[in-house]
Amino acid sequence: MLAAVLAVSVLVILVASVAIKAAGAFSWDFFTQPQATFGESGGGIAPAIVGTIVLVFWATVMAVPMGVLVAIYVSEFAGPRAARTVRVALDVLNGVPAIVVGIFVFGLLVVGHGQSGFYGSFALAILMIPMVSRATQEVLALVPRSLREASLGLGISRWRTVVSIVLPAAIGGIITGTILAVARAAGETAPLLFTSSIAANSVSWDASQPLQSIPLTIFTYSESPSPQDHQQAWAAALLLIVFVLIASVTARALFAWRRRRTGVDAGQP
Amino acid sequence: MRPGDLLFRAVTALAAFAAVALVVGIAYEVVRQAAPAIAHFGLAFIWNTTWNPITRDFGAGAFIVGTLVSSFFAILLAAPLAIAIALFLTELAPRWLRGPVATLVELLAAIPSVVLGLWGILVLGPFLAGTIEPWLSKWLGWLPLFSGSPSQAGMLNAILILTIMIVPIVSSITRELFLRVPRELREGSLALGTTRWEAIRGVVIPYCGPGIAAAIILGVGRAVGEAIAVTQVIGGGTTLHRSLFAPADTLASKIASSYQGASTKLEGESVLYLAAILLVIALLTNIAAQVVVRRAEKRGVL
Amino acid sequence: MLTKLVNHWKLGALAILATSVVVAGAFASAASPASQRAADTKITGAGSSFVFPLVSQWIPALGPALGIDLTYAAVGSGAGIAQITARTVDFGASDAPMSPDQFSACKGCVQIPWALAATSIPYNVPGLKKRVRLTGAVIASIYLGKITQWNDKALQKLNPGAGLPATKITPVYRSDNSGTSYNFTDYLASVSPEWKSKIGVGVNASWPTGIGGKGSSGVAGVISRTEGAIGYVDIAYALSNKLQVASVQNKAGAFADPGLRGTAAAGATVTKVPSNNELHIVNPPASQKLAYPICTFTYVILPTKTAKAAELRKFVFWALTKGQTYGPKLLFVPIPLPVLAASEKTLLQVKS
Repeated sequence: MLAAVLAVSVLVILVASVAIKAAGAFSWDFFTQPQATFGESGGGIAPAIVGTIVLVFWATVMAVPMGVLVAIYVSEFAGPRAARTVRVALDVLNGVPAIVVGIFVFGLLVVGHGQSGFYGSFALAILMIPMVSRATQEVLALVPRSLREASLGLGISRWRTVVSIVLPAAIGGIITGTILAVARAAGETAPLLFTSSIAANSVSWDASQPLQSIPLTIFTYSESPSPQDHQQAWAAALLLIVFVLIASVTARALFAWRRRRTGVDAGQP
Repeated sequence: MRPGDLLFRAVTALAAFAAVALVVGIAYEVVRQAAPAIAHFGLAFIWNTTWNPITRDFGAGAFIVGTLVSSFFAILLAAPLAIAIALFLTELAPRWLRGPVATLVELLAAIPSVVLGLWGILVLGPFLAGTIEPWLSKWLGWLPLFSGSPSQAGMLNAILILTIMIVPIVSSITRELFLRVPRELREGSLALGTTRWEAIRGVVIPYCGPGIAAAIILGVGRAVGEAIAVTQVIGGGTTLHRSLFAPADTLASKIASSYQGASTKLEGESVLYLAAILLVIALLTNIAAQVVVRRAEKRGVL
Repeated sequence: MLTKLVNHWKLGALAILATSVVVAGAFASAASPASQRAADTKITGAGSSFVFPLVSQWIPALGPALGIDLTYAAVGSGAGIAQITARTVDFGASDAPMSPDQFSACKGCVQIPWALAATSIPYNVPGLKKRVRLTGAVIASIYLGKITQWNDKALQKLNPGAGLPATKITPVYRSDNSGTSYNFTDYLASVSPEWKSKIGVGVNASWPTGIGGKGSSGVAGVISRTEGAIGYVDIAYALSNKLQVASVQNKAGAFADPGLRGTAAAGATVTKVPSNNELHIVNPPASQKLAYPICTFTYVILPTKTAKAAELRKFVFWALTKGQTYGPKLLFVPIPLPVLAASEKTLLQVKS
């Protein structure tokens, strides 16, 4: 109907305008050069690309173990009240605006110590944990009880059961949840505004210093008057959209593949 | 219980405890940082619509209004659209079309907000100022909402961007709800002689009522918390205007543009007070959604 | 059995992938080019976007000249002061002088004037042949919302025969805390008693009308996108974005441009520098016939006690001397001798 057509056309217009406007900016320089000096043209967003990779990497390292462990607790060990408390807490965490998370991490860690990529990653991780945890919980719940009982019946310890039997059965859903959380983290700007925004204009893999990031670069360039900046912003935006698209499609494909393999409806990601 | 099990259980329990502590910690820390401003201004801060760094008179009023207005209009536009899309995808679209369109709508949700803001500044803004707002001004200019002259950056731009953001969220939840309506209900209604549309209107939608309400509340929560895309297009206004064309500001977007740049301690603390208010509003909408869902689950309709 | 094996295989593959990513990351950072940059001292600063064009010219020169790897973020003067107060950066930069409250909050900071340039008044009115002429009173009226169209009588009087259109004037202001706003409101308060009593002077104000832009870049952006817009921004931004700037009438009655001559004339009015280095050169006296009336010094803010004192002193001394030669092409005027002397003297207070 009209509404669906409207929604789809907005998406198409959006992606199309990004792609068209970004076309001119893609060059080898774009991917390898740092920003140009004030007033000069050219340059690229290499530091931002590397920065995003590093920031998201560490955020994933922080968020996934945490999210999975929480989900295991809720699904395997917790009593009904404890489980409900944790679930509610995670839902609430999911609803905290990203900008407030940024302020939280700024006041807690950055004040007095300076910005750092790790603090930025920590802020991103806070946003990722509910997503990873929820996906893991859903998929753990779908692992048949019989599997666990059979394992325990054989005398295998609880923790071994979870680690070697339950988790591997759930791994597809966990990876799906992680991919979607990574896609979200890569596009977030607000948590990085106060934690990793004053960064050097050179490629750096060192997370103990603040790092540039693609979303913050788009943010800065979007408000600039220079058409070159705009073009680079479009190109960076296209990069992000393509990444998010690939991640979404991969997550979906994984979910469908697992569904076919195990015959289990592992729940909508 | 074997020691390995005990250890494992303790580790996972610790993680769960840490998660809960994190939530509590965020709330505590934000309020604690805002405490000096709360002590200084009291509750009057909430309806004070001035924000004047020179006279040191700060108030959240203008931004609370901005947040409420932007979210209200955004959900007003988004909810019917989202429900219509969900209906289309579950009832009306040919089967081969459903999958691709559903995927496309969900991809819209995955677009980072900063990209939407970029599009809002460079594409939507000029279009609004050049085409839409003059048209609105011509036909509806007698309404205070559409008075004043067209502007690229302003409340209307922010409302449209927020609408684009909320639609996928509300529509995917609503679609799930529609898919779960028991066949018997639908078929029973048709057997009684109602038309397809009457069945949808009289049975499917009321059945999903609470779920749709929860989806809408969640959409509002998203709109309330959005800082980046809004600050890019809303124009940074500091005074209240009647017209939707005029620049304005919301709680989240004011925080994004001011926090680091506080020139006096009081101003910094006032921005933190804004953050505390924003957190309260976001938590209230989140809890409201959860309550609605829980009640519906108890009644057996979810 | 086979499923279990395959599942384990998947886990194993994942583990290998994760490990290789970590190893690759470690390798990359370790094997980071052993270039000059890795050995340089890192100094970070934040603040004024006004001075950013000049600082960004310094950054590539500082590596070879002094072995300093400088990072500067143009987050606005207000943020610059806040950051150096919280010691999240090594130095701050602000066009607005610090208030006594800010000095005490900063716990032992000094402000040192290190650059001088004009705040231009760019506008977006296509089709005009000559530069628009404005007076301080007219600019104040525009920002107070009293003059709303380009063909207003007051503007016509100053620009006879210019063909000013009936377009609405959209004043653009800085939405973040800005030293440029301080300079602009300082000027308006000195030429308009109404502005002084109604709005005042500060890094931000309760702007009665107009649209906000974030950073000098943001303001220039809004102006270039909005027909009929007028704003205030460091001349380097107007220049690099090819915005038309207005001539503003000074106290001597002449209409001055925000160029090297007008700025140098304004700077020449400084003969003595107060002990806190705070300088106001808006609306200079009529003796300076060529002065552009909206100029400002901009300051670097340093802590008196810092571990990087030696490097910071080297850097700022270079900025005050060799660094000034990078200025003129961006319309920054080298700081006058009395100011240079005061700055160098204050710099000695920075110790480790």
